[in-house]
Amino acid sequence: MIASIHFRHFKALRATSLHLTAFNLVIGPNGSGKSSLIQAIQRLRFLSQQPLDTELQPSLSPELQHPELVFRFPPPNEGIEVKLSCRAGMVCDHLHVSAISSDNWEVLKQSLVTSRVYMFDHYAMAAPCTGAVEEGLAANGGNLAAVYHVIKRFDPGAFADLQAEVVRLLPEFSGLDVRENSEGLLELGLILREDREFIPAEGLSQGVLYMLGYVALAFDPRPPSVVCIEDLDRGIHPRKLRELCDLLYRLSYPEQYGLHRPPTQVIATTHSPYLLDQFRDHPEEVVIAEKQGRAATFSRLVDRPDLKELLQEGSLGDMWYSGILGGVPEESDPAAEAVTKNPLQP
Amino acid sequence: MKLAILSESPADEAALRVLVEAVLRGPVRLVRPGLRARGWPNVSQVMPAILRHLHFNTDADGLVVVVDADDSVVHTPHHDRPDYFHPQCRMCKLRAVYRQTMKKLPPAHGRERALRAIGIAVPAIEAWYLCGRDPTVSEQAWIEGQQKGVPPYTRAELKKRVYDTERPSLEHETRRAMQEALRHRHDCRRLEYDFPSFAALAQDLRGWKAAQPGSGAAASRAGRPEPASSPVPAPPPACVGAAAPSAANGDLPPVKA
Repeated sequence: MIASIHFRHFKALRATSLHLTAFNLVIGPNGSGKSSLIQAIQRLRFLSQQPLDTELQPSLSPELQHPELVFRFPPPNEGIEVKLSCRAGMVCDHLHVSAISSDNWEVLKQSLVTSRVYMFDHYAMAAPCTGAVEEGLAANGGNLAAVYHVIKRFDPGAFADLQAEVVRLLPEFSGLDVRENSEGLLELGLILREDREFIPAEGLSQGVLYMLGYVALAFDPRPPSVVCIEDLDRGIHPRKLRELCDLLYRLSYPEQYGLHRPPTQVIATTHSPYLLDQFRDHPEEVVIAEKQGRAATFSRLVDRPDLKELLQEGSLGDMWYSGILGGVPEESDPAAEAVTKNPLQP
Repeated sequence: MKLAILSESPADEAALRVLVEAVLRGPVRLVRPGLRARGWPNVSQVMPAILRHLHFNTDADGLVVVVDADDSVVHTPHHDRPDYFHPQCRMCKLRAVYRQTMKKLPPAHGRERALRAIGIAVPAIEAWYLCGRDPTVSEQAWIEGQQKGVPPYTRAELKKRVYDTERPSLEHETRRAMQEALRHRHDCRRLEYDFPSFAALAQDLRGWKAAQPGSGAAASRAGRPEPASSPVPAPPPACVGAAAPSAANGDLPPVKA
């Protein structure tokens, strides 16, 4: 888990901080730093796998605005601060750890290595694959069949739970199976309730494949420590978004689902007002990314002093679209431009 | 009887179907696909289109609408005076939307209009689920809290009491909603007594039954005046009422978890 990130000159995130909770839904216009947030976490993961650099940060030209990221962590790692900065150039390639004990960093590092960024690709998910599952579900979901196959083979009980969830979410199907095709590759498919026909993944819709990906993630017995998902709502019908949130809550709040394992921190982005509607009872989980000119900042919805009153007036999604929550694209002002070009004559 | 239920989630719809069948004392068929609204004020915005659709494109007898009151003004018998309309009361608002929409529609499918039944769950539908189980939860308790400026409970607390978690899955929510609704299947009087806004819904529904072909009232169905609402029914035989609920109530004891 990551407690907070401070951004300095990191793309559009010139000078802003973000406190993170177990589940975080980030909304905002294009170019407001949502993807940069996820890239920062990817960068942390990459650099934490490299040998620790004991040298002090090299002195850089003060004229250049070099990017810098500072990560802090919740207990028991609150004493650790990780700073990503640049040796030269403008890419964060230097990791410096301030820790009370190096043992703490070694433990935290093992956890950070399991963080994942997902951007599902339904073509990759549908394609038959080999049985290799080295690091869990692949970023594009391309080894989805192999993930289900491993669970089916080594943990039949978990596979039964997973299958029950799939059937509940997709009631037109009565089961899920992984079969080996003539080329020895694994092929995932669903069994139609109507006539028991096996529909291979290539015949399934984009949204169904994404849902299968999220189920695999939520039922992973050893899920990543941090999961980042771009455009969480992509391909999913608005009426299924509640169940999508349930799947991710299973990761973030395992104890509420009767699971005894550490929570997975989820950071998801969206442009869907319908998905935002799902967070009416938990506005503390919503982050608003705001873009003003070339600079972007983050704020938490729950920090709005008038939130309680606003929630009585309508849905979060409608309020966001209206602009009163912020996190909307900047628009040109044709009237102001016209007045500038043609000022009133005294 | 065929009807449509406009609610905020499949869990609400499942529970409402049980309660509607309990009031009507018989099974109902639902218009498919089920109708959904995105909370208030989306319900009132989408209702005219839904009514038009039901009226012209389906053979539905009526529409059941249930929304949460949240912190809005609670409907009282005072609001039922002729030509009275409270702008902050959701019941008044939804009835007005119904009236204004239906008066513009010509008869279709051999009927004058689709009937309506509106219930406002005060402050949220979870309060209905707790009826008979948690004696501190009632519409009267909520109104008194509003008057004092100290609500007796919050929506979040009600949800926690019903679902035992702050983040129930839809599956768990549906299961719990059904369990609680089924408690009232054979006798809704406690629910009607503790929640007059449910009683208003029940009265609307009983009006439908009276309007069914074969019933004496069917001939007068067209142009039927708006039913008087918020009737506080006579308390159930041993129910001591919302103001002084008692677990010692012999006929309707609180159901143990």
